[in-house]
Amino acid sequence: MKENKIEFIEARGSAEVKRMLHPIVAEWFFGKFRDFSLTQLYGVAPIHERRNILISAPTGGTKTLTAFLSILNYLVGIALRNELEDKMYAVYVSPLRALSGDIFVNLEKPLAEITELATAKGLKMQTIRVGLRTGDTSVSERAKMTRKVPHIFVTTPESLAIVLTAPKFSENLRALEFVVVDEIHALANKRGVFLSLMLERLQEFSVITPVRIGLSATIAPIEEIAKFLVGTNRDCLIAKVELVKDIDIGLISPGVDLLTMDGAEDQKRLYHILDELIQNHKTTLIFTNTRNATERIIHYLDDHFPGKYSGLIGAHHSSMSKDQRFMIEERLRKGDLKVAVSSTSLELGIDIGSIDLVVLLRSPKSVSRALQRIGRAGHQLHANPKGRFVVMDRDDLMECAILMKNMKEKIIDRVDIPVNALDVLAQHIYGMAISRIWDIDEMLKLIRNSYCYYTLSKEDFMSVISYLCGDYDLEHRNVYAKIWYDTSTKQVGKRGKLARLIYLTNIGTIPEEGFISVVVGSGEAKGSTVGSIDEAFLEKMKKGDVFVLGGAKYQFIHSKGMKAYVIANVSRQPTIPSWFSEQLPLSYDVACAIGKFRGLIAERLSNSLECVKFIKDYVYCSSETAGQIYRYCLEQRDFSDIPTNKKLIVEQFKQEKEYLLFHSLYGRRVNDALSRAYAYVAAQLKHRDIEVGINDNGFFISGENLDVNKILKGVTSLNLRKILDEAIDKTDVLRRRFRHCAARSLMILRNYKGRSKSVGKQQMHSHFLLSAVNELSKDFPILREARREVLNDLMDINHAEEVLKKIEKKEIEISIIKTPLVSPFGLILLTQSHSDFVKVEDRINFLKRMHELHLKVIEGR
Amino acid sequence: MKIDYIGKCLLLEENGERTLVIGDLHLGYEGAMRASGVMIPVKLYDKCVSDFDLIISGVGGFVENIIMLGDIKHEFGFILQDEWNLIVKFIEYVRTRCSKLVIIEGNHDVVLFPVLNKLGIVAVDFFIWNSVAFAHGDKKFDELYSDNVNYWVLGHGHPAVTLYEGVKKEKYKCFLVGVYKETGKKKKEVIIVPSFFPLIEGTDAREFDLRFAWEFDLMNFEVKVVSSNLKVLDFGKLRKIKY
Repeated sequence: MKENKIEFIEARGSAEVKRMLHPIVAEWFFGKFRDFSLTQLYGVAPIHERRNILISAPTGGTKTLTAFLSILNYLVGIALRNELEDKMYAVYVSPLRALSGDIFVNLEKPLAEITELATAKGLKMQTIRVGLRTGDTSVSERAKMTRKVPHIFVTTPESLAIVLTAPKFSENLRALEFVVVDEIHALANKRGVFLSLMLERLQEFSVITPVRIGLSATIAPIEEIAKFLVGTNRDCLIAKVELVKDIDIGLISPGVDLLTMDGAEDQKRLYHILDELIQNHKTTLIFTNTRNATERIIHYLDDHFPGKYSGLIGAHHSSMSKDQRFMIEERLRKGDLKVAVSSTSLELGIDIGSIDLVVLLRSPKSVSRALQRIGRAGHQLHANPKGRFVVMDRDDLMECAILMKNMKEKIIDRVDIPVNALDVLAQHIYGMAISRIWDIDEMLKLIRNSYCYYTLSKEDFMSVISYLCGDYDLEHRNVYAKIWYDTSTKQVGKRGKLARLIYLTNIGTIPEEGFISVVVGSGEAKGSTVGSIDEAFLEKMKKGDVFVLGGAKYQFIHSKGMKAYVIANVSRQPTIPSWFSEQLPLSYDVACAIGKFRGLIAERLSNSLECVKFIKDYVYCSSETAGQIYRYCLEQRDFSDIPTNKKLIVEQFKQEKEYLLFHSLYGRRVNDALSRAYAYVAAQLKHRDIEVGINDNGFFISGENLDVNKILKGVTSLNLRKILDEAIDKTDVLRRRFRHCAARSLMILRNYKGRSKSVGKQQMHSHFLLSAVNELSKDFPILREARREVLNDLMDINHAEEVLKKIEKKEIEISIIKTPLVSPFGLILLTQSHSDFVKVEDRINFLKRMHELHLKVIEGR
Repeated sequence: MKIDYIGKCLLLEENGERTLVIGDLHLGYEGAMRASGVMIPVKLYDKCVSDFDLIISGVGGFVENIIMLGDIKHEFGFILQDEWNLIVKFIEYVRTRCSKLVIIEGNHDVVLFPVLNKLGIVAVDFFIWNSVAFAHGDKKFDELYSDNVNYWVLGHGHPAVTLYEGVKKEKYKCFLVGVYKETGKKKKEVIIVPSFFPLIEGTDAREFDLRFAWEFDLMNFEVKVVSSNLKVLDFGKLRKIKY
């Protein structure tokens, strides 16, 4: 395989770029802007020269106009010569519907202004048309587009797939010259996989090889993203546009020696800090990590400062209606709001005017996310984005310190794009077969051109073809088969008159997630629905967990379909934090960096002054913050020992049950995999009542008479996959993911024969389907894909294997330590995930009590 | 009278006469799914036949009476002719293994009579054999309360039980065996038979109402879990099983 040639480029000179522009375009541009932005100096020329390019710039870096300037320039030139044809010259794809609307507006305006300028000069210019098509586009608008073909087509990946199967309308894509893919950093998931196959189909369909232009926020590993954009065996330039000025970031740790900020006193302190920050800036954007926290902040700010914030504060999160969110965005743009509070919804590109300060409440869990969020501040070209982390406990403190360091040093955590996803493949093969008949080798070749499938084996490909041919149920083949494959002619085509209709009404990769109704399962209020939670929350819940909904407490018993059954009037206090479901996982890279940090601190602990200075320099923080970090580590060292990236400490202690607490600081995705594997082994060893708890910093297994050595020996880098395949079998999480995969593979049709299936029905059917498929073969492609998704996308089996390999090669030492109680570093893990646990309010007292015990143990030494 | 549990079927013997009881079948369920756009790869019929073969050979290949407790089919409507024929085939096959076949009408068995007509069988609401009354379980009948009746054998509930052990859990079909007493009426020994329907275990009575026509104290019923090799394992009272 010929290697991709990936090349980093430099910015060109302003005069050089100006020369590339048509006089009218240049006149228009410099009538509006003083000069080219840095991003434009990087990107405009290569596009003009028809080179594939990935432009990576922080948010607000004028990427869109950079992408379009050369394209508009080219089109204006043709239009003035009266040579503009009725075809699509450029396709712009964005995963966000709303953004597409934004872009459309951003294109129409310049075109109108340029046309005006041309007319004023007495020049005749053909009309350059921009068309928008998303899921929201009306039928009449779509019809209009067939009559007046847009030259620039703005759309989403799913709508593009639909267009490509439209027999007549797709013809407009036959001579496509440019493809722009925006928000690439948001495509490190199955949607991205879908898009990458889409781009290959587009390229194959067009007789001209379109230039691929990718727009991304700061992302890593950037060379891989470039390959993702252009596919295998193709060249790509990378414009890595750095922020001119440093971002102004700082860390605020409210507690003097903060164990946790959840107590009432600490809350007061927190809100005073927030208030001060808000008052000292014109417009502040506060990011929390969950919707609940968003609502709570607003509620408490109002509580602590009655009347002060009325009308000046707004919440923005995905559970709100489109109109509500739009209103907040408008008010921000106009400068009407003093503070907006958001979870993840305001992270992405929508224009929200100028923000002077971004506050990150609690760690955003990855450097790229932190940069995205802080990048929302100072939207103007030359303003300094300003951000502050506000940490809520000691682990949060360490995490944010490292995030800050990595941000300053521009070390971005790496993303993973799913590889060889068989469900998305099935959907695309179907789409391809609907468009025309293919030679099977030709089809495989196209698929392997996609970065996400270049290692696809012939066996896997044929197993998907076989599935689509309905081979798994010969008796019902005439109903099930979506394609036919003729082994003698080696051709593949679609089957059935309904093929296109089924494809159009069931296309997409975003799983339809329903809301789970929470129903009281027993007692007085039996049968009544008390509210709803989302599927992600359900996925994380264990039987017996107590959670809060609408102000009341419920104990989760079990779920069936789209209902969760609970016990009401629970006396026990909440055991699962309300933010549990939306908890973003800590990136593996940052987790390892924290481990390394711990190691460096451990080496210097004997000299307090030197250590504090080291911390200050290493993470660029204040003396106060460095002191807090120092004391935290000192406490841990004095109590037992410090776990680092080279030393994985396994603590053995007893607290009603026996505990093995692994200080595996690798992020919760890796810990999800490791904990399940060890728990499975422990259960196989006949240990009773095994329970598991995980977070980003580690995991624990509890049970009776745990034989730590046998358990540790039971999991190796070689058997991890086999153990996990069995461990996840029959779990709810596999069932749900199977449903998603079955829907994507079109094995469960959401819409069929004019009727649509509720998510509940889909879930019920998928339960039965899973049993049937399991009986058929454990290697049925869709089942294999569900497993792959759980192990690779939801968990992180690859890094888990890497950790185990390091242990086997002795690069990481395992140290088993018996402790009288949980150590300081393990405290948060235990209290937050321990399902037997006491009140959340008492949690503070528990922590304080534990802390005292720690000090006693340390003093006693 | 002797009561035996042969896998997911019940075997009763009295005076040398043996009666085998088959629970809810729901034949055609996968056809209903297929019609609504789910490509389910299963030959329920084949599984039913092989499951039945295993059981009938375990009891000597032939019994005097076989009772099917209702819900023979899931639903008709969009089902193809083949499905209909399979149901006929299954019933005919079962009939070759007994002298007398009794089919009890279940709540899903609307429009069953054309099929049975073809076979010359009449479906009944309930059936009484010696001191045992067989019914589907969704409806009450006065005759069931007769003083001559000591046992009620019912289907309808699809009983199953989920067994938890820390991180693991598994669901199994089971029989629920207990007593039922209404004031002024004679006490009845109740045996609830699991569904014969392959692939899906059923409903755990601790999680859901099994929707019988009577209010049974199921938590105090004995649980007999259907295991492999036609065995059944005694787990004691339902309320004692860890949940």
